[in-house]
Amino acid sequence: MMKFIPLRPRTLALLAVLVPLMMLFFYVALRSGPLAPVAVTVAQAEHRAISPALFGIGTVEARHTYKVGPVAAGRLLRLEADVGDRVVAGQVLGEMDPVDMDDKLRAQQAAMKQAEAQLQEAQTRQAYAKTQAHRYEQLHAVRSTSEENYAAKRHEFELADAILKATQQQVSRVRADQEGLSTQRKNLKLIAPADGLVSARKADPGTTLVAGQAAIEIIDPTTIWVHARFDQLSSKGLATGLPAKLVLRSGAGQALNGHVTRVEPLADAVTEEIIAKVTFDEAFATLPPVGELAEITVTLPGVASAIVIPNASLKRLKNQVGVWEVKRGGLQFAPITIGATDLNGRVQVLDGLSDQAQVVIYSARALSAQSRISIVDQLPGASQ
Amino acid sequence: MVTAGIRIEGLRKRFGSGDTAVDALKDVNMVITPGEVVGLVGPSGSGKSTLLKCLGAVVEPSAGRMTIGDELIYDNRWVIKDLRALRRDKIGFIFQAPYLIPFLDVTDNVALLPMLAGLSNAMARKQALELLQALDVAHRARAMPSQLSGGEQQRVSIARALVNRPPVILADEPTAPLDGARALAVIRILNQMARQYEAAIIVVTHDEKIIPTFKRIYHIRDGKTHEEVGEGRDFE
Amino acid sequence: MISLAGRDILHSWGKFVFTGIGLGLLIGVTLTMAGVYRGMVDDAKVLLDNSAADLWVVQKDTLGPYAEPSSLYDDNWRGIRNIQGVASATNVTYLTMQVRHGESDVRVLVTGVVTGETGAPGWPPHLIAGRQITRGHYEAVADVATGFKLGDQIKIRRNVYAVVGLTRRMVSSSGDPMVFIPIKDAQQAQFLKDNDAILEQRRRTEQNPALNRPGLPEVLDAVIATQSANPFVNAVLVQVKPGYAHPEVAESIRRWKRLQVYDRLQMEEILVGKLIATSARQIGMFLVILAVVSAAIVAFIIYTLTMGKIREIAVLKLIGTRNRTIAGMILQQALGLGLIGFVVGKVSATFWAPVFPKYVLLEPGDAIRGFVAVVVICVLASAISIWAALKVDPAEAIGG
Repeated sequence: MMKFIPLRPRTLALLAVLVPLMMLFFYVALRSGPLAPVAVTVAQAEHRAISPALFGIGTVEARHTYKVGPVAAGRLLRLEADVGDRVVAGQVLGEMDPVDMDDKLRAQQAAMKQAEAQLQEAQTRQAYAKTQAHRYEQLHAVRSTSEENYAAKRHEFELADAILKATQQQVSRVRADQEGLSTQRKNLKLIAPADGLVSARKADPGTTLVAGQAAIEIIDPTTIWVHARFDQLSSKGLATGLPAKLVLRSGAGQALNGHVTRVEPLADAVTEEIIAKVTFDEAFATLPPVGELAEITVTLPGVASAIVIPNASLKRLKNQVGVWEVKRGGLQFAPITIGATDLNGRVQVLDGLSDQAQVVIYSARALSAQSRISIVDQLPGASQ
Repeated sequence: MVTAGIRIEGLRKRFGSGDTAVDALKDVNMVITPGEVVGLVGPSGSGKSTLLKCLGAVVEPSAGRMTIGDELIYDNRWVIKDLRALRRDKIGFIFQAPYLIPFLDVTDNVALLPMLAGLSNAMARKQALELLQALDVAHRARAMPSQLSGGEQQRVSIARALVNRPPVILADEPTAPLDGARALAVIRILNQMARQYEAAIIVVTHDEKIIPTFKRIYHIRDGKTHEEVGEGRDFE
Repeated sequence: MISLAGRDILHSWGKFVFTGIGLGLLIGVTLTMAGVYRGMVDDAKVLLDNSAADLWVVQKDTLGPYAEPSSLYDDNWRGIRNIQGVASATNVTYLTMQVRHGESDVRVLVTGVVTGETGAPGWPPHLIAGRQITRGHYEAVADVATGFKLGDQIKIRRNVYAVVGLTRRMVSSSGDPMVFIPIKDAQQAQFLKDNDAILEQRRRTEQNPALNRPGLPEVLDAVIATQSANPFVNAVLVQVKPGYAHPEVAESIRRWKRLQVYDRLQMEEILVGKLIATSARQIGMFLVILAVVSAAIVAFIIYTLTMGKIREIAVLKLIGTRNRTIAGMILQQALGLGLIGFVVGKVSATFWAPVFPKYVLLEPGDAIRGFVAVVVICVLASAISIWAALKVDPAEAIGG
């Protein structure tokens, strides 16, 4: 009876306060802070096939873009086509200001008329000279006129004939001049080179354009494709003909079917990307705006069944990729070689991990080989 | 020389020194035999308290002799060096109020003294219980002081004063807060205990109700004691 | 002998326990303060740990990328990669910004990491849910502290990112949770303004006659194109091949690439020594004040308890209790109070620490130091009470 404790209710009340407090204290000391085990979740490495895919982004582009503009510097007179118009090959879209070209053309026409009048005169003269020559020839035959007169008439005739030929050439020249001018005049018209859709109108009437500057751009809507860029690090297996899913930024996540039409032989050295062209399989009712951003997921050929783990379990320790394997309740770092990956975060393990291996997926803290772990179903805070 | 419970001869106490010196006790002589209860009465300022403190070994007298039982404890200076042990073993105290330790129960309040003297807890409690039985409060042995009535508290304090069987018990106005009947009951108990435990009991009082009960009374006046024969009225 | 202190505590246990709890909450605050400091240091270290780098290559003459802005051309890594001893060199960008989350904003550190290379430096080293980024664009791994959940959409500047993975304790040196996104997006995010600003910039460029030359319409397009490109990153994280000394590799990068290079120790010095030094002193002051206040409270409580028992102490002394016993009683009570306080403090600190918006790291070492401090404080605080108790004259019990 060394510690005969008086007053039970008081003692009990004190104990009722102190005992839970001490229990809490020890719980707290052991379950929190560095002494506490690290909560982890594990999964079993499983055999399964994965379908790897590549992800890239790109912009909608037209395969052919026609830039229509003047061949010589000048001022735009009129431009009838506007953005969104469908045009057919040969359609006049607008015209450059001809300035004095019409006047020149009229002068040319007058010159033509003048030449024709001259031709007519020459023909008349030649016909008369021919008649005269013929008559004098007959007169000369009956010796009714002198040899000299006859020669003079013949000479007149030959002269009139030569003048006629010259005048004919003159008419041809003036006509050619006129045609040339008229062709130049026609060239001032801006004409659609192919069927298409007006995608840009870059100048308005009155604007002065330099030679080669586009006044209007026409794209061919039947040849819309996507200029896609894939990071060089993750573009293994990209090839022509692979199927692809395309999501336009405006498409609200709706995927369109397509396929890789071309992998460009030139990669972008600055952005470290590989460039490919992806064509849509279906035609569009309304064309997506050229330049719109698109996400491209290229499906690669499936990989035969192999050991697969989630990429969240991959760790890098001393420049070595591996996973934490749970062995007899402890942790062991298993360096692995990884193969194909898919976009859902599954990684194929080529080497270093056996089937049925227990692999740490998530951990509340960084792990080391000495870490004490407690395996849980889900880490706190990780609810969906 | 008769073996006295306590014997005081020519006890003097001077406070201060030089011109401002005050003689509180000038010549105190008392002899109390074991089993005797004597009264010590006197007006305020007569040196009653000072005498009690000197007897209680908490104030050092200036001169004189003091003997408890056969042991000389003061002879112009303390002969006994361990005054604390002296107080614990030789002197019992009863105060105006019970002054029980509020956080100890009745038994431990009493048993504390033997424990301080080095007894085991069990032995000390056994002694305490005996005394509580003698004083008729054993049924409250497990109660806390605050749960007791005034009379019970006073009896517990008497038990505490007696528990180490001291030859001398100093009671300082033990009946002051009590009415006539209760005051007389306390005196009766003190008388009984004095006989039972052969203790010399000095009761400091100015309670008119109980003065007639003493057979011997020391009046203290102006620092000097005068012995008188009391009425020794039988109040039983 | 019975324990006087124990009996007194039992007798007035309510007062004692509640005082102890009150003191405990104060000690809890003190421990939390220390935890806040440890948390800040840990935030800095965690940031460095999570980047998994041996060396940080940053802009010359800067303390980047965490303490100062730093920008490097994003093709610098190629040259660095070729330096002997470099195992890997990875671009990384950091951008602290507000991100909308539901009704409110969260402040996050948007980190651009190189995708496609498994476990590259800069990647979140461990997840608590979801998966790592697999697509080169528009995917994000967010820290749980941001409040985002798997499948949520995060809008960063112009783009929307799907949260595919969650991390824990991935924070910047100032404790802002991190959001990892592919580096190409991050470069864009870091540079790109809102649409209005872009239009304004284009307009300004168009109005500049030097850039918009009549007769040379292509110049404008080229200028605008260069304006909207961001060939910069904030740092290059370098891992050193085994067998190469970090300072030597750092020195050769410094010498040949003319860039600033920090190793792990220097980075810690920058983050802990420079970035949070003032905060640390601030918290140090708080700790001192809290310790003084705790000491004052313990002293006051013990003094009050002792003074309330002065008559009993006088009686105890009169009936022969040793001074040692009385001093022991007071000291034991002070220590008991300190013990209750410490336990309550440790428990409460542990329970409220996770509620703090920033990380509070309660180290067992700090708890032990705190316990020693509490004991010392209690002993010191009881000194005045002991002195007062020993001064009590046993004569006071007599006569009054």
